[in-house]
Amino acid sequence: MNKNLYNENQTIEEIKNTFHTAEIKLQRESRIIVKLRSDLIPPFLSYAKNYLAFNHLAHFSCVDWIEDNEFELVYLLYSYEKNIVVIAKTRISRDKAEFVTIKHLWRQAETYEREIHEMFGINFTGNDRLNEFILEDWDDIPPMRRDFNTIQFAKDNFYTRPGREDAQDVRETITKKSGEKIPDFAKEFSVRNLK
Amino acid sequence: MFNDKEASKIVDIIKNFARKHSLWVVAYGTGCGAIELPPTMTSRYDAERFGIRGSATPRQADVLLITGYLSVKTLKRVIRTYEQMQEPKYVIGFGSCTINGGMYWDSYNTIKALDRYLPVDVYINGCMPRPEAVISGFIKLQQLISEGKADGAKRYRENLEWYRENQRKVIKNWRMPEYNW
Amino acid sequence: MREKETTLYFGPQHPGITGNMMVKLKVAGDTIVKAETHVGYLHRAFEKLMEQRTWMQSFPIVCRICVPEPDPNEENLARAVEEIEGREVPERAKYIRVMVLELSRLAAYFLWMGGQAGTAGLYTVPQWSVGDRDYILDLFEELTGGRIYHMYIWAGGVRRDLPGGFPDKVLRTMDYIESRLPEYDKLMFENAIFQKRAKGIGVIDKDKAMEWGVVGPPLRGCGIQHDVRKDEPYEVYDKLDFVVPTYEGGDIWARAMVRRKEMEQSISIIRQVIEKMPGGEYYNKVPNPLNWYVPPGETYVKTESARGEFGYYVVSDGSLKPRRIHVRGPAYVHGVSLLENILVGANISDVAMIMNSLGVCPPEIER
Repeated sequence: MNKNLYNENQTIEEIKNTFHTAEIKLQRESRIIVKLRSDLIPPFLSYAKNYLAFNHLAHFSCVDWIEDNEFELVYLLYSYEKNIVVIAKTRISRDKAEFVTIKHLWRQAETYEREIHEMFGINFTGNDRLNEFILEDWDDIPPMRRDFNTIQFAKDNFYTRPGREDAQDVRETITKKSGEKIPDFAKEFSVRNLK
Repeated sequence: MFNDKEASKIVDIIKNFARKHSLWVVAYGTGCGAIELPPTMTSRYDAERFGIRGSATPRQADVLLITGYLSVKTLKRVIRTYEQMQEPKYVIGFGSCTINGGMYWDSYNTIKALDRYLPVDVYINGCMPRPEAVISGFIKLQQLISEGKADGAKRYRENLEWYRENQRKVIKNWRMPEYNW
Repeated sequence: MREKETTLYFGPQHPGITGNMMVKLKVAGDTIVKAETHVGYLHRAFEKLMEQRTWMQSFPIVCRICVPEPDPNEENLARAVEEIEGREVPERAKYIRVMVLELSRLAAYFLWMGGQAGTAGLYTVPQWSVGDRDYILDLFEELTGGRIYHMYIWAGGVRRDLPGGFPDKVLRTMDYIESRLPEYDKLMFENAIFQKRAKGIGVIDKDKAMEWGVVGPPLRGCGIQHDVRKDEPYEVYDKLDFVVPTYEGGDIWARAMVRRKEMEQSISIIRQVIEKMPGGEYYNKVPNPLNWYVPPGETYVKTESARGEFGYYVVSDGSLKPRRIHVRGPAYVHGVSLLENILVGANISDVAMIMNSLGVCPPEIER
């Protein structure tokens, strides 16, 4: 395939000239990853929207890197003119989960922020609509955090019908018939071991 | 000619016969199973030939079809919908996830066994059940009605405390009007 | 004189609502003053569950995210995994995938047609269109074993090859569907009732549409030609000949006509795919799914579904299970921020029509 990366390289050049500290990587055709300091994110998004024609906020996501004690906020911007997705990322501390809203740039960002507030417990200052969105009367830790154990929660809160355990592990029946052995790594995923 | 007991038995037979051929289903798609209801109701499978049809309001409906998993938030609304329905009323659990949680067995937001929270008359298994399975579930319900065994509403009334206890365990903020018989 | 304001709860138990969600309306007389979307009735915590499952076990989960049209989800996850892993997909599998995606688009449009006409009061259309959709579901059933959830597209290709004589059956169904489309024109699109209910209602501002995150048929109904299949061709869409229809106006009518024209394009794509389909392998085998380590990496993939850009942001940390899969459904924006804004000033009787024409699908808002 003929790869003409003119648009991509030009965009990278422009970002580099404006944000010197940004770590920029061309992931592949029409995907640029930009890693920024957290205080540079609002100016960067505003710059990308107004000067580089990235006017479509395609997605706003959050990843919990619990081993680094950090949340990674991921903004995906798309430009219809240039046909490029910019993945702008920043990391904030898990202990002080707070960030500024970008609601004034894209009004649909409000919805994403409501979801991330509910699922990760990140507070977006300036967004006054961080009320209940998906969950109702939730009083545990925010469920999408890595340290939230959904299996334990389900076991504690909901009645599980007995008999499921037997029906689950059909592999034993199959192995008995065929004479094969279940490999060790597969046993890890047996429902019985999850108890 | 007849004594009271026999007379009421005959009346029951006639009532059940009438009931089983006119099952109005509340139009409440609680889960993904709602996608198989349009085919069931429309030209190809045409459930209306069995007297099954949709009803817009719970107060005029007979059957509450729980189409799949119930999240805790929906369970609250479903309980209200069920309690608004007039007797005779029946509940059909539709899909594996109403029976034992199905593929959502470890989800933090869905209930795993519907009959702890609402009295279920008929379960239809499968993920997702085909329209034929839905119709056969309804026929099973009709059978139970004509035999007088579809007594979910009675069970609910008699064991209200037990159901309420289970419901309140899951629904943390219970802001609902009391069930007024 | 200011009219008294009343609060109306539209859903979750309401025959006009598209799925299990609720719109809280403040109305003055017949006119909506304020709308507030409440979702979360279908939240199954898929993104959390996928962190508990292996990569292969995630495939049956993702197709349940969007019930009327599950295949773009499988396609997205499969393509994301393939991209992170660098796994090659056989040429034949790519063609089969395009065929499945277009079939599912057709099925979704038939279902939409029933819903859209039903909300306008034309109850014959759902009887026809849901019945015709079943012919496509029959094809799916023969191909994949499931009517609704297929779990057919997976990493490395597709699950099984086409059964014998399948292409002919698809072509026959396409001929039938094509012969039916003029009938639908007469019944629905040329129907004066539908035109009156659809024209000039639920207008999206063309200048703001991109900024507001409008995608898919609603965007093309504003006269903006944008389609993921053209902008960033995936699978074999760059080798196929099709146009992206647009309409001016941004109202329900324009969106309906865009979908109507796209049905013809889908039929043409399916015919081309079957004509050009090469032989050979259909599946590039992945390792044992229980011992399948996907290397660390991240990607954003997108697919054009029947309602617009369906995006997946997938992060792998090199373990057996996905680190994070975040789904961007087209209804996420359409159903919350856009709906709340364009409902203001609309009539109560148009709420269901506007929701249907935007393709609001709650399971992909809350997942």
